[in-house]
Amino acid sequence: MRTLILIALSILLLPLVVRPAIATEIWIFAIFGLGLNLLLGYTGMLSFGQSTFFGSAAYVAGWLLKHYGMNVLAALGVGVGVGALSALLVGYLCVQRSGLYFIMLTFALNQLFYFIAYQWTSVTGGEDGMPGIPRPVLLGLNFQDPLTYYAFVVVLFLASLWLMKRIVESPLGKILQAIRENEVRAEAVGYNVPRFKLLAFVLAGAFSGLAGVLYAMLFGIVPLEAIGFVFSGNVVFATLIGGSGSLYGPIIGSFVFIWLSESVSTIWARWPLLLGVAFVVVVLFLRGGVVEAWSRLMLWRFSKQKT
Amino acid sequence: MAILETENLTKAFGALTAVNGVSLEIEAGTLHSIIGPNGAGKTTLFNLLTGTFPPTSGRIVFDQKEITGTPAHRIAHLGLARSYQRTTVFPAFSLLDNVWVAAFATGRSWNGLLFKNARKYGEVTERAQTALSDVGLLSKADVPAREISHGEQRQLELAIALAAAPRVLLLDEPAAGLSPDETRKMVALVRALKGRYTIVLIEHKIDIIMSVSDRISVMHFGSLIAEGTPQEIQKNPDVRRAYLGGVAA
Repeated sequence: MRTLILIALSILLLPLVVRPAIATEIWIFAIFGLGLNLLLGYTGMLSFGQSTFFGSAAYVAGWLLKHYGMNVLAALGVGVGVGALSALLVGYLCVQRSGLYFIMLTFALNQLFYFIAYQWTSVTGGEDGMPGIPRPVLLGLNFQDPLTYYAFVVVLFLASLWLMKRIVESPLGKILQAIRENEVRAEAVGYNVPRFKLLAFVLAGAFSGLAGVLYAMLFGIVPLEAIGFVFSGNVVFATLIGGSGSLYGPIIGSFVFIWLSESVSTIWARWPLLLGVAFVVVVLFLRGGVVEAWSRLMLWRFSKQKT
Repeated sequence: MAILETENLTKAFGALTAVNGVSLEIEAGTLHSIIGPNGAGKTTLFNLLTGTFPPTSGRIVFDQKEITGTPAHRIAHLGLARSYQRTTVFPAFSLLDNVWVAAFATGRSWNGLLFKNARKYGEVTERAQTALSDVGLLSKADVPAREISHGEQRQLELAIALAAAPRVLLLDEPAAGLSPDETRKMVALVRALKGRYTIVLIEHKIDIIMSVSDRISVMHFGSLIAEGTPQEIQKNPDVRRAYLGGVAA
């Protein structure tokens, strides 16, 4: 309940504190993080190639929006589909391996998609990106107005959060965590581990796809970076800093990451340094990220009150 | 009637033949022990039976059906469950969740896999609780597995196998690393399970083997060298030479 109030408050206050575009980007990035965390936090798979699905969805849906004036909801549906489908393809190849090989495969396939986008200039615009993506009117809602679009993204974020909550609390969520905890035993008690990993991959890909289309519509362009490895790394960093052990970790991570990159970067060009320090602190002392720091603080205050 | 049979089962890892032409018949309802010195191939035999890896040659027949080469996750659904020599649980999970995932795997249906709240599977939770109470851990159902003692983890190990509602239980040294006191508890537990399940037991502690087994098979360097009742095995000169040696006296 307190988490819900906190989320509601931040949804309302955020556009007052930062530019609407940044506020919107935070929630989009949070959807992206929710998807990754199903892999990273729940299944224990570090995918270093999530931008493959984010970018592919952004390009395909962006193309349809730009050239065929597609309906917004249909474009989002296409994005979710492209995200899931590309994740099925990439995931099928990656889940055959585990550990370092898995990570390298996700990375290598990400590079493959990146260079396709880089070379295929007639469609993707290559290095210049794919500009001119509209935000068509939906049911009389004018998405050209930043706050209207912000509200639309927030609604989709809440739907994503609700859906992800259902997934992690379902038997599937338990099975994925069992795979994280002990792959051999999960297999022995009767789960086809590669199949379940693939399912997690496809679900994560669908969330990435949704985020990708919203991102393209927000900035009116699909930049080449949207399918690059830096983007894949960013969502991993954000999720780890927020806390991969919790459903809400990626949301906090998205706040910290986007806020740092958009606000602090204008004041101080060396801002990634801060990110590096935060990352080192998390890896060395706070494996549960901001979420763990908070719960430790609460525990500490609680024990002080008692004595 | 034999519920589990192997015919000339062989597994070679390169030049090493870990299991060599083993033909075994496990009668339904019995407790059949497999003994042998370290490295005799007992655990490899279990890995073959449960599909961890396929045999190099030979056949495995479970309940009249050939299961040679069936992958591990399918074996569990056929009714063959195992426990591990080295504790293999889900550390961050509560004890109940540890057995819950095993109970769900072999449950009646996977309806609602993606969307229904895991707490709403009453029948699965009941079976999980029964498995925990069978090993005497129900009172700790909410404790994370990593926080219980080694002895309790061995019991949990067993509960995970039980939760799958198997017909045949393969127990790989359930008393490994236990204190004399904990060992007595574990033996009592295995005794209580005897009759309810067909049990194949790997164990090193000879006194346990002699007191609980209906039949014993002896492995040495990957091959079966003897099979019989505990009395017959005790008298067998080959077994004495290969395995019991000075220890049995």
